[in-house]
Order: sequence, then C-alpha cells, then structure tokens
Amino acid sequence: MNDAEDIAPPARSEPGEVGLVEPHDFVHRTPFTFESGQVLPGFTLRYETYGRLNAARDNAILILHALSGDHHCAGIHALSDRKPGWWNNLIGPGKAVDTNKFFVLCANVLGGCQGSSGPSSLNPGTGQPYGIAFPFVTVRDMVRAQKLLCDHLGLTCLQGVIGGSMGGMQVLQWGIEFPGFVRRMLAMATTARESAQGIAFNEVGRQAIMQDPEWHGGAYAKGGGPRVGLAIARMMAHITYLSDASMDQKFGRKKKGKADNAAYTFDVQFEVESYLRHQGASFINRFDANSYLYITRAIDHFDLAAAYGSLEQAFAPVQAETLVVGFTSDWLFPPAQNREIALALLRAGKRATYAELDTDLGHDSFLLESPLLYNLVRDFLERGSA
Amino acid sequence: MSKLAVKRTVDMQIIGDWVEPRSRVLDLGCGRGVLLDYLIQHKQVNGIGVDLDFEKIAACVHRGVTAYQGDMLAFMRAFPDGYFDRVICSRTLEELPSPAPVIAEALRVGRALAVGFVNHGYWKNRLAACLHGRKPRNAVYTTAWHDSRPANPVSIADFEHFCAEKNLRIVRRSHLRGDWKTPCHVAPNLFAGYALYELAR
Repeated sequence: MNDAEDIAPPARSEPGEVGLVEPHDFVHRTPFTFESGQVLPGFTLRYETYGRLNAARDNAILILHALSGDHHCAGIHALSDRKPGWWNNLIGPGKAVDTNKFFVLCANVLGGCQGSSGPSSLNPGTGQPYGIAFPFVTVRDMVRAQKLLCDHLGLTCLQGVIGGSMGGMQVLQWGIEFPGFVRRMLAMATTARESAQGIAFNEVGRQAIMQDPEWHGGAYAKGGGPRVGLAIARMMAHITYLSDASMDQKFGRKKKGKADNAAYTFDVQFEVESYLRHQGASFINRFDANSYLYITRAIDHFDLAAAYGSLEQAFAPVQAETLVVGFTSDWLFPPAQNREIALALLRAGKRATYAELDTDLGHDSFLLESPLLYNLVRDFLERGSA
Repeated sequence: MSKLAVKRTVDMQIIGDWVEPRSRVLDLGCGRGVLLDYLIQHKQVNGIGVDLDFEKIAACVHRGVTAYQGDMLAFMRAFPDGYFDRVICSRTLEELPSPAPVIAEALRVGRALAVGFVNHGYWKNRLAACLHGRKPRNAVYTTAWHDSRPANPVSIADFEHFCAEKNLRIVRRSHLRGDWKTPCHVAPNLFAGYALYELAR
C-alpha cells in the first residue's frame, strides 16, 4: 500500500521542562542474592521521579540508563546547573515521554557509582569500600533490583520500559523477567547478545584500568585510583559511540587553538584529541573505575540466546508490545543486531515493530534530539493508553 | 481521503474477504498500514507489515499496526516455511525491480499469497502509448520515465503467463474495471484497470 494518507498531527501545547528535581534513595534492607550466587545483606538504589503517579498507580514509565549514565535523566538539581539530566530533551511536560501523563522513574543501576550500591560503597564488614569484593552484577540483577524499587513505590505495572544501549538490554530483560508487569518495551541501539567486538572494546577499557598501577587490585581510596586508566578507557569507548562521518563533520582535521601545523610534537594538536582528553578528564571526576569494570562485565555477559536456549525461547514469556529502534551509523550495536531482536520477538509470536533511523551520529544517535524519533516514541507510548 | 484512497476501498474489501479471521498476515510493502489496520478491525488478524521507509513505519506505529523497516526478502528469510497464513502484496509487485524471488519466498513463508496490481494492459494505457508514443501519465502513472514509478509495470496477461510458467496455482482472481470497483468479465487484459489474485503453492 503506497497511498500517502495525510495524518494531521494533533494540536499540542509547547513542551515544558521538568524543572528542579531531587534524587531519592531506596534502601532495601533484606538480603539480595545475585545471579552469581553471591549475597548482599541489602542494597540502595538512587532514583528520581518526574510527573505524578495516578490513583491506580499504573501510569509509570521506567527509564533505563546506559553504561555511564545515571538516575538523573531529566530536569536540574540547582538553578546553577549547566546541563539538565541526560535525556532531558525526551522527558518532560508535553515532550515525547510526557510527564503530564506519565510518572517517570529512573534509577542508577546496581553496581553503579552515582548513589546506588556498587563497588565504591562501604562494606559494613570491613569499613572499607567493597572494591572487587562486591558481587558480580548482571543485567538481570539490575532489573530484579529495579523491580523491588517498583514494588516499594507501589506501582501496579509499567506502561513502558525505555532504554538505549545497555538500557535496551535491561528493557528486554524486564519484558522477560516480569512479563505481566510491563505493557510496552522500547529498546534502542542495543543487542540481545553482546558481540565479540563489543566485548573486545570493553576488555581494552578494563585493561587500561587494571594495568594502571593506581588500581591496586581494586582497593584504592575514594577520589584516588586508576584515574589515567579510567580516562583512557573512556576516551577509547567514546570513539565507539560516534562515527567516522560524525567525527569528520565535527572535528575534521581542525587544529587546536594556535597549534603549529608544522610542529613535530606529541602535545595536543588536533581538536579531536583535545575533545577526547576532555571526555576522559571529566569522566574520572564522576565515575568509579571499579564500577566501570563491573558494568562492562555485566554487558559482556548479556546473551539472551545462551541464557534461555534460544532468543525465541527467551522471548516466549513476553507480554509487552515492543518497539526496537536501530540507527544506520551505529557500529557498536549495528542495525542488524537490533533487527534480530524484533525478528525473534515476531518468531515467538509477539507484537514487535522495528524502525531504523538514518543518522550519521553513530551509537549515540539514540540520545540526540530528533523530532522523527520523538514522534515515534510518543505514538508508541500513547496509543491505547489513558 | 484522496480520490485514489476512495478508489482503493474495493480492492481492500476483496482482499479482506479472502483473509480468514484471526489469521497471521504479512503485508509486503505495507505503506502506512491502512490495509493492515482494516484487516485488524474487520478480521481481527495478527498482522505485520514490511516497508523500507521510516515515515511509513512511523505511520504504522501511529495507527497501532506492527511493522518492520527493511528489505522484504531478508525479512521473509528470517521465518520458517508456512509461518504466515497469508502474505499480501498489494500494489507492491510493480514497485520491485525483481518480483520473482519475492513471490517465491512469499509462497514459502505463506500458505497463500494475495497479489493486487494495476493492469498495465488497460486500454487507456495502450491508447496513450499508441497515440503519443510515450509512457502513460495519469493518476496511476504519475511520474515521467526518468523518475519512474512503478519500476516494473505488469499486465494481467504478463502475470497469468508468469503463473503458468512457474506452475503457480491461481486459487482466485478478481478483475475490476477502470473505476476499480465494477467487476470486469470480458477481456480483462484490455478492460480491467485493477487485478487481484490469490496464489498457492
């Protein structure tokens, strides 16, 4: 069918901002057994919420962050904040994830370092940070911990679970683990099975950290540690979030400041070098090296086909309707890996849609402001919902 | 609704009549999901559409129709034999550079294949070609030769010949006159503007 039937866009008021927000801590005080069999006496998840939970407690949407993300996905913490939360252009009153309609929840993952329990948390047994004595974390552990938070908040279901990259992995795991609880899954720029290339990049990052003499087997003081290694890991990883075309467009061969074109030196000469050094330097001030090890390892272990026998078997319990979005220039989680998720869901007899956006911004495309993507997300979330 | 969309309601109804209630349907070249939406409303089918264009898929999502953006052959290759009760190719074949492999694959993944196409042998097209010696230009053939759509015009005679040659069983056929509404029983390759076929392996 190729008739172009015009769909009049519904009139919408100007989108607003979430505004000032503050994080909360959910403290789970009973023992939590990880997939590895290791046990923590309890854990904390730091989270934020936007919008209002309705009386039926069934209008919640859960946002799931990627490797280096956190719970602060929209709004600002103080008027002096230079930047809002990482998905602020998606979430807010009148935006694609409309906080006038939905109660939006986002938590820092288990194993993280932004307030949730992780390797930098204090081990009550020793009075020192856990370091690598912290239990190994899997994507499924992250999701099971989030479910406890949802129960704590008294949510009766989730209208949607949304995430890109590792957030997309959590989306899929949510739909499998708690099928009756999830109405819609929206997974972007992700995979059902971390590829060899993905594991390879993660391993280079981990080696940069673990080969840094300041790592000390994971037992370093807060604020110290393998800062050089972590910065290099971030610089390398950041390249995998971009694309050849987008880097060439943004930096080309532009020189930094008054750098002498002819000088034979290893100082920063190109803008792309300066940009990556800045990425590395700012990352070490907000991220814990051991958390980086734990979370990349969780990503490496993510393989739904192996965990459940096959991808179709993995998706067998799913009840949610799924939208998978891939991005043409994403070479970290290429379109084919995203397509395979939708195809396997369909083969398992589930409702699934695959859409692909033509962008040249690489893996990070899912975070960029795109009216096409936002309209798609809005339509997917709001169709048939109250 | 555009004039073309009004014209289209009949072939939608005919395909709708052929589709079994609650069956599993694949629509190749689903566009904005109008036909699937109709089949979901009237036949409660479990449907999925395939199209190449992001905006078409977005329109499907807007309608609540599930769809897959990508190549239709690659899509079908991801499914086992007979996975779909019916595959639909409504005004899609003539857009393909190479329809034969698509028909073959559709008859592998589908137990039946419904095809609908504009008859290129329709007398007005012949007349236009005869009189002007140029590619016909009308409501169906809207573009000049150089940005030509459809890519691969097909006539009823062409299609019948193809089915005979490939040993494809024609289960049902329906020919409509130039108004795409009134049944056409006489010399369809000349007088039918639109043709619908149901094929089976």
